[in-house]
Amino acid sequence: MGNKQTVFTPEQLEAYQDCTFFTRKEILRLFYRFQDLAPQLVPLDYNSNPDVKVPYEVISSMPELKDNPFRERIAQVFSQDGDGNMTLDDFLDMFSVMSEMAPRDLKAYYAFKIYDFNNDDYICPLDLEMTVNKLTRGELTPEEVGLVCEKVINEADVDNDGKLSLDDFQNMILHAPDFLSTFHIRI
Amino acid sequence: MTAFYRNQGYEEDPDYPDFSRVNLNSQNNPDYPYSRKNSSNLKSKNNAKYSSTYNDPDYPDALNHPDYAGTKDYLDNPGFRNHQEYPGSHINPAFSRSQKNPDYSGPGNSSHHLRARHNPDLGFLVIPDYPGTENYQDSRESPDDPDPRNNAYRSSSKNYHMGAKDYLSSRNNLDSLKTRNNQSYPGSLEMPDYPGAEDNLSAPDNWRDTYNQVTQDNHGISYADNPEMGRGALQSHPTFHQGSRSPERRNQDYPESFQMTSRKPSSLYSEHPVPYSDDSGYKEKLIASLINLTPSEGIKIIRNQPLTMQEKRKIRKKVNMERRKSDSTVPLNCCTQCMNAMSLHFRHFKNIMSEFFQSLHVWQRTLKIIGSKFGTSVLSYFNFLTWLLKFNIFSFLVNFSFIIIPQLTESKPNTLSFTDLEVMTSPHLPPPLIFVYIFSSVVPIHLTAPSSSILMEMNWVYCFCFHSMACSFRNNFINPHIYSRGTAKLVFSWDFTITHEKAVKLKQRNLTTELKENLSEIRHENVIAPLKQRLSHLAIHLAAWIVSTGVAIASCAAVYWLAFHNMKFLKQHKNEAATLLLPFVVCCINLFVPLFYSSFGLVEKFEIPRHQILVIITRNIFLKISIIGILCYYWLNSVAVSHEECWETLIGQDIYRLLIMNFLFSLFDSIFGEFLRRIIGTTLIKSLGVPEFDIARNVLELIYTQTLLWIGIFFSPLLPLIHMITLFIMFYMKRVSLLMNCQPPSKAWRASQMMTLFIFLLFFPSFTGVLCVLAITVWRLKPSPHCGPFQGLPSIIHAIYGWIEILSNRPSYLWVVWIYRNLIGSVHFFFILTLIVLIITYLYWQIIEGRKIMIKLLHEQIINEGKDKMFLVEKLLKLQESQKKPSSYVLTQERREQEGLEAQDLKDFNLSISISPV
Repeated sequence: MGNKQTVFTPEQLEAYQDCTFFTRKEILRLFYRFQDLAPQLVPLDYNSNPDVKVPYEVISSMPELKDNPFRERIAQVFSQDGDGNMTLDDFLDMFSVMSEMAPRDLKAYYAFKIYDFNNDDYICPLDLEMTVNKLTRGELTPEEVGLVCEKVINEADVDNDGKLSLDDFQNMILHAPDFLSTFHIRI
Repeated sequence: MTAFYRNQGYEEDPDYPDFSRVNLNSQNNPDYPYSRKNSSNLKSKNNAKYSSTYNDPDYPDALNHPDYAGTKDYLDNPGFRNHQEYPGSHINPAFSRSQKNPDYSGPGNSSHHLRARHNPDLGFLVIPDYPGTENYQDSRESPDDPDPRNNAYRSSSKNYHMGAKDYLSSRNNLDSLKTRNNQSYPGSLEMPDYPGAEDNLSAPDNWRDTYNQVTQDNHGISYADNPEMGRGALQSHPTFHQGSRSPERRNQDYPESFQMTSRKPSSLYSEHPVPYSDDSGYKEKLIASLINLTPSEGIKIIRNQPLTMQEKRKIRKKVNMERRKSDSTVPLNCCTQCMNAMSLHFRHFKNIMSEFFQSLHVWQRTLKIIGSKFGTSVLSYFNFLTWLLKFNIFSFLVNFSFIIIPQLTESKPNTLSFTDLEVMTSPHLPPPLIFVYIFSSVVPIHLTAPSSSILMEMNWVYCFCFHSMACSFRNNFINPHIYSRGTAKLVFSWDFTITHEKAVKLKQRNLTTELKENLSEIRHENVIAPLKQRLSHLAIHLAAWIVSTGVAIASCAAVYWLAFHNMKFLKQHKNEAATLLLPFVVCCINLFVPLFYSSFGLVEKFEIPRHQILVIITRNIFLKISIIGILCYYWLNSVAVSHEECWETLIGQDIYRLLIMNFLFSLFDSIFGEFLRRIIGTTLIKSLGVPEFDIARNVLELIYTQTLLWIGIFFSPLLPLIHMITLFIMFYMKRVSLLMNCQPPSKAWRASQMMTLFIFLLFFPSFTGVLCVLAITVWRLKPSPHCGPFQGLPSIIHAIYGWIEILSNRPSYLWVVWIYRNLIGSVHFFFILTLIVLIITYLYWQIIEGRKIMIKLLHEQIINEGKDKMFLVEKLLKLQESQKKPSSYVLTQERREQEGLEAQDLKDFNLSISISPV
């Protein structure tokens, strides 16, 4: 209990609770995880909302992200500066979306952003290419990658504009029943 | 309810001109709607776009005003009051008129209005900058104008009324100011004659209609009308233009905002509550709608917003503030608090339970390794195996609790047990078989228990099988489109839960394999062989079919001949070892003939790998089912009528021997067959290579044993226990053999529908055949006279008749008798039942046909709309490039096109709504 009082004010904790899918305990646990990542950077007192950013290199070395082929994108999408450097808020945000409780639409929205490498709000063939290369560690030939991308767009592009919009993506997710369980990072 | 409120949130301000303009620009600006990162750039981008589009240097302030174009900054301003920065709004003399509106004036509209009255001078400062023409008075005075908004805010809190009204009025005032002080456009001053007046009136009406529609049809059925609504409001533009020489501003304002209102809800109802996070207005509306909700609902909505934590906190803070202001009198309901706490606990409990259940999936890891190393096709075999294992555990539990336990508790000293001991000691009959004898020594009083429980179990099996088959059919075969969505699902199916380096690599390899499977199908679709080649292929297929059928018939004849001669031989010699001859021969046939079949693969070439597996499965199932058929014929027609002492026991023994022998053979097959094959392939004949895992053969092995087991259950109720053990051993053995000896299938094929096929096979030839055999046993055959629960009856079904007779003498059980006579035993009842089922089936069939057509049409329509959209966007871009200076004609053109775009967007959404549930 003593720790709680020193790290966050009750109001802060309540706000975090309302804005994430976590309980007090989990928020504190996440905070300590965050603090452990960069003990010299992150103060143990968040009462005054210090603006501390943990660099991407540290974030990506977390065991939860270390081997994820999309770790860079995840960090970029959830960090406010877009470079993967995260504040505590971003960190909580990330794990909140990736938690079990987050609804399908929220997850789908962020999944879309993660797969949208060039941030143009469409998953275009280039994005798909990068996704496929990350998925297969470059084991497919460029020709095969091209075929896969073509097929994906053929399958999921409802309005035939040659790229996937968020709606296309969500529509596709509706047909993938295990998306909810796979878009999930356990902490 | 939530959706309704959110919808309202979207509806609440039709008057966001810049907002809508921003949105318009975003049609060309792909960065716009969802990127959080770019939000800070948005302002400048949109503004830049705007000025380039409209080339309007006279209106810089209105357009570049951070409060409208900005997105993030908007929240930073204290709510609606930021319109104080438009001082013009406060000095409008017409403003007081709006105060007459009873909804409008109130104790809450505080600082804004006060300041409006107290600072009358400020407004004139901005006059030259706002030369837009706006018939302010008309819109304010018209009784229709405020009303729809009041409608919209009906359920809002009073406080919000104020804020929103302030905002609206400030907009209108602002616009009217421009009108009034714009001396260079004299036409705009002639308001009573102004043709746009009616149009302006009609706009709110339209808007209200739209709103009503949206609220009434919360499920997005009638959205198709909305674009027309938007258009209705827009049709006024030409006249508006004629009436005034500078109508752009107002024109831009209304139409898009109406389209916004009609479009956004539709996107909501298509189950995409993801907002346009960069819309400053969206947040306003969100806050406004949140105030009306209970705290827990509000929190839920805030949580579900794809906004950054800071924004969420700001919204939350603001909502809390407004809420405290609005209803500080209402205390927090302790009941809701209690509910909240309970739901929290329930959530925790669910989390714990789900983790617990996940830990119960023992073989998950093994299966994942197998899947990533060997692809989904091999994985489907193991999935099927585990599925069967679970099934047999269930079957065993039912048998144990309904047959064995009653017998163990009530069985009397068994006279036959001594002879059984002899059987036990004999080398080829292991101990579990004693249960066959226990079963057969039940006293006749309880005779109905075993038969009815077996029938019940069969019923359960039937339901279970049918249900799982239907489910997997639904999952794998019924697609809304002609194509499957396999690849797309694969590409976006990365499992973020995986954290181990090794597992990640396995998963990546697995995905690579699966993608290759997908690709191999595409490639085969593209190639069409020449005619001659096709003819030769056809001839080879035909020959293979003839040979395989011939072999199957020959082996059936062999089994038949052997079985009958074996029986005679056994009668004469009583040699125990001879009983093993028949199972041995049958297992040999089962082992070697499929090997022979799979050697056809060297000659027969299939274009699609999946066809190969289907053909092999068909041939093997034909062989195995016909052998089982012959055996059943032998059992029912010769063993059962041979007047042996206990023919049920004989059949049970036979089946038991067959099962054990089969298990030994498959052990032998995987240990020696695959192992030797690997040794030969890697050391002696290198060209052969490491063997591939033959899925078809292995799966059919499983189906075959399961069929035998089902037949055997009736004669020996503890067979599931034995089968359970053998399956358990099989799993580990096959796993080891697979990982040690085999290589991933060189031809990767998609196996997503394999499981369905296996279950179907299990259901159709196998289970249905078993039911037929059992039906013959129960209705036709005379049970053995001296052993078993049915001794002395003319046929087994007479046990039921006798039971009903006994029950009909007891008045308290008369309802059972009634049910039996009128429902189960009645032909009429079954006739009516069948008729009803047929009618329902026909109806559903018709509905499905209709939906198929519908889906096809809608899909075509979506594609066409997409094409239209692309075309219009292109045209729009061209126009924007070609037009350097503003011209009302061009702008009108643009307007129309943008309107069209919006309408199409809406239609697209509607289509996606109607498609997604299918």
